[in-house]
Amino acid sequence: MSLGRFAVKRSLQGIGVVWGVVTVVFALRFVTPGSPINAVAPLDASQETRQAIAAELGLDQPLYVQYLQYIFDLLRGDMGFSYIKGQDVVTLVFGRLPATIELAVAASVVAIILAIPLGVISATRRNEPVDYGATLLSLGGISTPNFWLGIMLILVFAVEFNIFNTSGRGVDVGDVALSLVGPEPVLGTLLTWLAYITLPAIALGTYFMALITRLTRSGMLDELSKGYVQAARAKGLPQTLIRYKHALRNTLIPVITVLGLQLGTLIGGAVITEAVFSWPGLGSLVIDSINDRDWPTLQGSLIVIGTSFVFVNILVDVVYAYLDPEVVND
Amino acid sequence: MVSSRVIRNLKKEFRQSGLAKLGLALVVVIVLTAVFAPFIAPHNPTDQQLNQSELPPIGFSETTERTSSQMVDGEIQTVTEEVEITAEPDHVFGTDGLGRDMFSRVVYGARTSLVVGVLGTLLAASIGVPVGLLAGYHRGRVDDALMRIADVSLAFPSLVLAVALIGLWGRAAVDIPDPFVVAGLAPEMPESFVLPITVVIVVGLVNWVWFARVARGEALSLRGQEYVKASRALGADDNTIILRHILPNAITPIIVLGTVQVAAIILLESSLSFLGFSGTTLSWGFDIAQGRDYVSSGQWWIASIPGLAIMLSVIGINLLGDWLRDALDPGIEGEGGAA
Repeated sequence: MSLGRFAVKRSLQGIGVVWGVVTVVFALRFVTPGSPINAVAPLDASQETRQAIAAELGLDQPLYVQYLQYIFDLLRGDMGFSYIKGQDVVTLVFGRLPATIELAVAASVVAIILAIPLGVISATRRNEPVDYGATLLSLGGISTPNFWLGIMLILVFAVEFNIFNTSGRGVDVGDVALSLVGPEPVLGTLLTWLAYITLPAIALGTYFMALITRLTRSGMLDELSKGYVQAARAKGLPQTLIRYKHALRNTLIPVITVLGLQLGTLIGGAVITEAVFSWPGLGSLVIDSINDRDWPTLQGSLIVIGTSFVFVNILVDVVYAYLDPEVVND
Repeated sequence: MVSSRVIRNLKKEFRQSGLAKLGLALVVVIVLTAVFAPFIAPHNPTDQQLNQSELPPIGFSETTERTSSQMVDGEIQTVTEEVEITAEPDHVFGTDGLGRDMFSRVVYGARTSLVVGVLGTLLAASIGVPVGLLAGYHRGRVDDALMRIADVSLAFPSLVLAVALIGLWGRAAVDIPDPFVVAGLAPEMPESFVLPITVVIVVGLVNWVWFARVARGEALSLRGQEYVKASRALGADDNTIILRHILPNAITPIIVLGTVQVAAIILLESSLSFLGFSGTTLSWGFDIAQGRDYVSSGQWWIASIPGLAIMLSVIGINLLGDWLRDALDPGIEGEGGAA
């Protein structure tokens, strides 16, 4: 099978999973205690509003009609209307999505940049002080609740030293890029952006840094003991080349898969990190929508989160297949 | 089921690894703390003593400015005075904003974390293991269906799904009488342990899929073994084969996963409590949420100390998991999921 066909096959499977996600989210409406109208209407809604909602949702229709209607609406890009926020759910959710992606990407970048070298050094200098240091650091990292880490970072860097901002997003990352490449580059926007994103990115990224360090270390130890590495050494290839080109490449393949599966943890972590830092992303929208009993917004957010997960994992699988062509024929 | 070779490996690995000893020590301390909480806690963790609020931990006495309104010559004036806040030897970890003893709250918080962690893991395993074994053994449509369900389940982050389900179902809790207090051995202490039952059910429901994946993988590789074929030839039915031959040989990686899951669920429980989605107010995550409001006014200990308790517990359990994995099954690094 070619890589292209593999990608198509994986995408078709992905569509099936997204359909499952939508079905589960649709079903959530019926595990809510009471009438489904309660799940949509504000608690203090008048009788007219309730009837209008019932008619709009087609609650008088048979279940399969409601279900098909829900799917067709989604395909048309209609996720319903939030009576509590007074906005279209699509507008709400996609308005919040960029902030969450920005935070998740920043956290992943912090994690990957630190973790891969740390894992490699840890493996190549096994049982030396640097290895013990890295092992303890990564053990602490996978064991620390990220919301608590966030509060501790606020305590030290914002309350004691007053270096960083602790609430909100500051500037849009797009504005930062524009200000840097503009006619008169300004560093100020970049600094403002960093002041807001640094602490949440560290709080969210630490777990992943720790996880990647552990995976890289054990993977590297595994690879370095294999025959091809010894053969390369015997041939007299430089250590750096063996480590970073041969062994690391093979180590990263399983690391990438685990990271794809852990994307859910990243988004889950973003939900709580956003709560700590008042980051205006999808996570705070989810929490708000539950506290306000704003089910259309919750359903829309869940669909977007689930779909992103599926999409990223297809991407991961295709990258995996590119790095390790045997997978395609599996 | 557990052969003497397994025991030998465990002992050997334990002797060689300092981290395994540390892990076991931490877990033993936490389990004992949780079980004997009424005897270890010096105060009732829910008793409020407002005149003793915001006391720092031992060794952290400090002076702060406190403003108060006073009547001076018939007028209300705001007076700022320097106040010396001294730690009380009676409150080792200080007190929170309502004058509750932090040490006692940390001790009792261990119960919530451990009980939710263990029960949640057992629930997840009791759903995931049978489903995974059946799917891996029978393959075919059952397996396909399971894998699709697992894919859909994985697409929702544990925390998000848990928050959504608890939001929908409410935050139910069950009061379980504390046997020590009922027996009159610790009359000052809370009479019952509040088990956040919705949280247990929800964490079990969102984490079963990890067990299903591991059990399925084991069943897939074991079903082709000679002894399985032999007992099938002898006429054993499928359920007997799964129970007698597949499960015992698949148990090791399931135990290793179970250990990691207890840690993951403790983290998940603390996140839920932090966000206010729990049925109990005696939880480390809940205390961190309370303490968060005091961070900017200088009472750092209210949020810090419960977090250290979570960290030490999870480190202990993870070290135990590493030990079991290294001794029993070196092949499953990285599976397991987290909060």
